Amino acid sequence: MTQPMSQRLLGVFPIIVFACLFAYLGVQSTTFLSLDTLELITKQAVPTVIVSLGLATVVIAGGDDVVAGGIDLSIPATAIICAAIIADQLTNQGASLPFAMILAFGAAAIIGAINAFLVVGLRMTPLLATLSMSVAIVGITKVITSSRRIGVTDETIVFIRDGTIFGIAASVVMTTVLVLVFYHALHRTRWGMNMQATGGSRDAAEISGILTRRFVVQSFLIAAFAGWIASVFVLARGSGSSPGTEENMLLEMVLATFLGAAFSPRRVVTLWGAVLGAVVVSALSVGFISIGVNVFWTGCIKGALILLVVASASVTTKGRS
Amino acid sequence: MTLRSVFARFGLIIIIVMFFSFFSYVSPVFLTFDNQVNIIEASAIVLILALGMTLVVAMGGIDLSIGIAFDFGAAFAVVALKDFGAAWYVACLIGVMGGALVGLLNAILIVGLKISPFMATLGTFFVGSSVERVFTNGGGPISYRRMPQEYRDLAVGDVFGIPTEVIIAAAVCLVYFVVLERSIFGKRIHAIGLQKDAANVAGIPVRRYMFVAFILASATCAIGGLIGSANIRMFTPLAGFSYLLDAIAAVFIGAAIHPKGRPNVIGTLVGVLFLGMIGNGLNLMGLDFNLKAALSGIILVSALALAVAQQRFR
Repeated sequence: MTQPMSQRLLGVFPIIVFACLFAYLGVQSTTFLSLDTLELITKQAVPTVIVSLGLATVVIAGGDDVVAGGIDLSIPATAIICAAIIADQLTNQGASLPFAMILAFGAAAIIGAINAFLVVGLRMTPLLATLSMSVAIVGITKVITSSRRIGVTDETIVFIRDGTIFGIAASVVMTTVLVLVFYHALHRTRWGMNMQATGGSRDAAEISGILTRRFVVQSFLIAAFAGWIASVFVLARGSGSSPGTEENMLLEMVLATFLGAAFSPRRVVTLWGAVLGAVVVSALSVGFISIGVNVFWTGCIKGALILLVVASASVTTKGRS
Repeated sequence: MTLRSVFARFGLIIIIVMFFSFFSYVSPVFLTFDNQVNIIEASAIVLILALGMTLVVAMGGIDLSIGIAFDFGAAFAVVALKDFGAAWYVACLIGVMGGALVGLLNAILIVGLKISPFMATLGTFFVGSSVERVFTNGGGPISYRRMPQEYRDLAVGDVFGIPTEVIIAAAVCLVYFVVLERSIFGKRIHAIGLQKDAANVAGIPVRRYMFVAFILASATCAIGGLIGSANIRMFTPLAGFSYLLDAIAAVFIGAAIHPKGRPNVIGTLVGVLFLGMIGNGLNLMGLDFNLKAALSGIILVSALALAVAQQRFR
């Protein structure tokens, strides 16, 4: 099937935009295109990459209609409450890291189960369910931390922040492994295929004998799990838990995941897209700072970019169908 | 009547009454006339924003940028008063038009470029909040202590003893009730929300209606911004964001009370007053700030879950 030239150009339009943008940043700033900057970008991106993996899983299982399909806005809040629990246990209660992690895991599991209950059990709109859950979780986090910063000096956390594995930052290596595990599970197993079918067309999957409700439940549990994992890297990045970090993370997660859809040929949310999206968002932030753009403008540029990309995506899909 | 049907019909109302009785029992101040007026007064701005949201949700969309419209309303009006010495009613008009600009952007993105309302209004939120930061050099408030008394009265004045903001909110509420529930325009908006394609086939100019509705919603939110800025005599960047979740929650609580589960004006009013009552009651109980945040979040989730469960039982 041959497409008109303009259609094909529009298809790769998002990629061209970002390529030009990075080329410009590279020319403008002598330090932008260097290994050090690359390491900084990937290290900064780590928590966003992990929560975006969670969101991508929910979207893959629930369908990509933003309001009625699958979406989980409570993942950043989950990461923040787990970080708060771990920091509180380590610093204030003198607990060991494994114990603190298990406690945080319990909290994440409860959150995932409630989300799944609200969405699958009560058939509540995922957007509404997870948004209100996010508010409740942030409130409970305030009780745990009394809205104060809790510093963490645990060896393992410090290693994740500063350590290297084979000369590469430890957090980046760990995240890469996690991404590969997610990729294998979702793209290379029968379970993952069934999950994708569930999101592709709920009715068709149902008729083929897939228990779709079970997969949606699992996707919310996996999202909470991703929040739990991300909490460790949030702790490492900030050397402790700080109040109010979830809002920015929420915006970056949504931006990264749906920006990622623009990179995929079929304009759907994918794991690779989410990872790439998170790195691109981080690279933009670092890049704009390195060429001295007023930081107040970066939100505007990010917003304009997402609109540009989503608009071009909607134009191309319209042209195809 | 079985227990199940009673729950399906009145579940949320029963919960509201229970909370009302509980707060009356716990705090001696709660039931006083002054405090009830307090609740209504504190709910005025939320109600105005929630009504804008009701219009958009009834049409099957969502608007995450109502906070930006609120801020733009406040900013345009305060700047008109301060830097251009505009009369108070001119400033109000300019403020509402400032809010309408936000709606115009949304409308172009959603109707013109066919972006989903969620992504489009999220983008507007990003762009809008960045513009506010740049405009105020990082987010400092623009204060205007000597604003005209008439403008200030939008928030602190009263007419025959009724606070002006309550009168404004009531007027907006009445207009929305007539427009959304009792006019052809409203019927068609609901039709678009229920079945967009069917509405289109039936000859409703869907795109034009959506365009107008997004602008109307943002302009309404700007009215809230006027009152907010009159109250504190300044424009605070990004202040509107805090109303977003309350507005969404009120609309969905309201939808749960409706016999067919549709977003509606009366329901939104009940939802807003319910949230206002919870906030007020928790304050009066003298709870720790952090504990209050946690409790109100948990109550929000439970109320919404109950509201949805109630619909499922029908």
